[in-house]
Amino acid sequence: MISRVAEHCYWLSRYLERAENTARILEVNQTLLLDFHLPVEQQWMPLLIISGIHEYKGEPTAEKIQEYMTWDVENPFSIASSLAWARENARIIREVISAEMWERMNFYHLWLKQLSTRELFDHQRGEFYAQIRRINQLIHGICDATMAHGEAWEFFHLGTHLERASQTARILDVRYHILLPKIEDVGTPVDNAHWVAILMSCSGYEPFHKRPRANQSDPAVAVAEFLILDDQFPRSVHHCLTACERSLAAISETEVGSSASEADRKLGQLVRWLDARDIADLIHDGLHESLTHVVDGIHEIGNAIHQTYFSGEVRPPTKPQSQARNQTQTQHQS
Amino acid sequence: MATATELTAVRPKRMAAKKPHPMQDTLFQRYKPHLTAWDELFQQDLTPHDCGSVLVERLGNLHSAEFAARRASADLAFINQGITFSVYADTRGTEKIFPFDLIPRLVPASEWNKLEVGLVQRIRALNMFLDDVYHDQRILEEKVIPADLVLGSKGYRKEMIGFSPPAKQYIHVCGSDLIRDQNGQFLVLEDNGRTPSGVSYVLENRAVMKKVFPHLFQDCRVKRVEDYPQQLRSALESVATQNANDPPCVVVLSPGPYNSAYFEHSFLARHMGVELVLGPDLFVHEDIVYLKTTRGPQKVDVIYRRLDDDFLDPEVFRADSMLGVPGLFRAYRAGNVTLANAVGTGVADDKAVYPYVEAMIRFYLSEEPLLKNVPTYICARPDDLKYTLDHLGELVVKAVNESGGYGMLMGPYSTNVQRAEFATKLKADPRNYIAQPVVTLSTCPTWTEEGIAPRHVDLRPYIVSGTSTWVMPGGLTRTALVKGSLVVNSSQGGGSKDTWVIE
Repeated sequence: MISRVAEHCYWLSRYLERAENTARILEVNQTLLLDFHLPVEQQWMPLLIISGIHEYKGEPTAEKIQEYMTWDVENPFSIASSLAWARENARIIREVISAEMWERMNFYHLWLKQLSTRELFDHQRGEFYAQIRRINQLIHGICDATMAHGEAWEFFHLGTHLERASQTARILDVRYHILLPKIEDVGTPVDNAHWVAILMSCSGYEPFHKRPRANQSDPAVAVAEFLILDDQFPRSVHHCLTACERSLAAISETEVGSSASEADRKLGQLVRWLDARDIADLIHDGLHESLTHVVDGIHEIGNAIHQTYFSGEVRPPTKPQSQARNQTQTQHQS
Repeated sequence: MATATELTAVRPKRMAAKKPHPMQDTLFQRYKPHLTAWDELFQQDLTPHDCGSVLVERLGNLHSAEFAARRASADLAFINQGITFSVYADTRGTEKIFPFDLIPRLVPASEWNKLEVGLVQRIRALNMFLDDVYHDQRILEEKVIPADLVLGSKGYRKEMIGFSPPAKQYIHVCGSDLIRDQNGQFLVLEDNGRTPSGVSYVLENRAVMKKVFPHLFQDCRVKRVEDYPQQLRSALESVATQNANDPPCVVVLSPGPYNSAYFEHSFLARHMGVELVLGPDLFVHEDIVYLKTTRGPQKVDVIYRRLDDDFLDPEVFRADSMLGVPGLFRAYRAGNVTLANAVGTGVADDKAVYPYVEAMIRFYLSEEPLLKNVPTYICARPDDLKYTLDHLGELVVKAVNESGGYGMLMGPYSTNVQRAEFATKLKADPRNYIAQPVVTLSTCPTWTEEGIAPRHVDLRPYIVSGTSTWVMPGGLTRTALVKGSLVVNSSQGGGSKDTWVIE
């Protein structure tokens, strides 16, 4: 497929995923931590850090930060911005995505601009955030059911899982860091509600409790293990990265692990790095340091995907004897 | 947007005893046709034309409130599907819907068949003209058309001299604008042989009409327009070059998502099942055009380009074009890619060349033109210029290379200042202008705030040519929405209607 179109597919799903995650952490913060009289630096400022915002200039009140993270179109990480960019990516490739997908995306684009939607935010915030989350869930359902499961679909899934892996790693990192800033703190009592909040931020509350487990460990360790290493939980870092591996393999028409491109190689490295560790190792090395390694790794994978598939640095068709290294890029005709 | 509930909510509390409120009128009850224009639905005595009797009977039973509800549902369908065009003046990228009127414009098949033959004749002559002016120039030598008029046209591309596009086909997609005068005669107002737009609205209008009035279609025996994308794709494939892939790789080339017609480009790619590409998605290597894909370069054979000649290739045309593909024209001339429409077709739809199309038909085909032009004064001719200057208040004056209703003077509706301005422009550059008598365009019953009223319409049929020619039965009926206005262009606030060719 056209490199530029692949890039739009990939970003379309990343922005949708980002909007869903932002809605979820705002919602969880709003409802679950309401009873805790935490200073605002601990309750609301972390949300900005999760989204990678370090230069927030507004007032650090709960309301201002929610406004900023939900509606402010000047903030590239707000829900409104994420959905606007998702829709713009969709508009540009509406001949590639299914008509039903486009219509729903456009519907919610218009919905977000309605006065009644703003009123929903003002008066029933929980329902508003729930609705935002449902947008991504609905689009994914429509996408899977109406789009050919070909290359465009794989790029859509690649974007989703890469974004999701990154979000889970960031949520865990930031929250954990506040609760247990030092390695030695693991094992000290933290109110159960905080673990519940972290799990809920990743939609992991129920699956966490339903998971098969051998022993009852410290919740601090168990939650981290679940969100990073669990094989079955669809939002765990490991699960998302292996889903990315499958998408990349399908895109390059190779087996998982064949390192067909720089993107495959980078991704494979990170997955193997995680495979080689258990949760005790990750905590021993410092959970923050470990998660930073993961987040940086995902960033590099993103760059490699860009380099491999989107950059447009396509060489003219090469004669068989030359440019062996670039053959994966140039020899296949689709 | 007015919704049904809003409209019914404004119903006054006290209703006049004798007169029912307009909302309870049936649709055409108060319709008063235009005094002089030809009405597309009704005859002078207010009975419908033959082809419209079923429609009038069925629609006529609707109360205005029901009609308003259907209007609201049609508007909603357009908005939800994002069937919109961008407004250039608005930097925030606002998208608007193209106002759509639910009352269709009808053309009986007997009349349509004549139009179709006339259009095919015209397109054949225009193609032969293009082939001639870029090769032997017989028509200029025999002084049927003044050579300076043709060679001095902005649309004339000397780069095309001596080059024959595949199958000698130049105008693969033509949108000729037709109008109907007071006597009901169809006339050609202009030919659009470069990159005519609007066909996606024809197809979307039809889809929405089918949703809103599903039963009407069965009863009225309306000819299908839905084959357009496949017809276009077949036509494009039929003119692929010798060394093309099998099947040929066809793409739609768009200037990009900020172009006002991007929706249409995307629509056509989607319905033809081909890729929509932007200039930077393509590159040329050894005179072959390739598409940049995730699996490496892929050879492209036919480009349905919705980009003006000027922007196609910065190596040959405008050097500052960021939208085109460097080397594209070389590949074209080397016979390795087909461009549709061909480069240089602008000379055939130049408004100053238009008055000679009837002469072209006689010259190339030895046939009498089946479709007539609107009488035209060519300001390049001193006599015509003088006449135009003396009668500015009665004529429509048009700049020859403008479209979309820009660069135009509507004499009868103009002010002294505007006329003085145009007189200066005419004297300074007469070649750039033509003038025509004001034709009272036919009207069609149209929904307005004051109820159903006559509004002027034109008709743009779409003619698709590969190795053979196909005319879509119907076309885009554009309608002026302002009372009395004769300007139907969407950029000037016009709307559209579905066009039904009735068997």
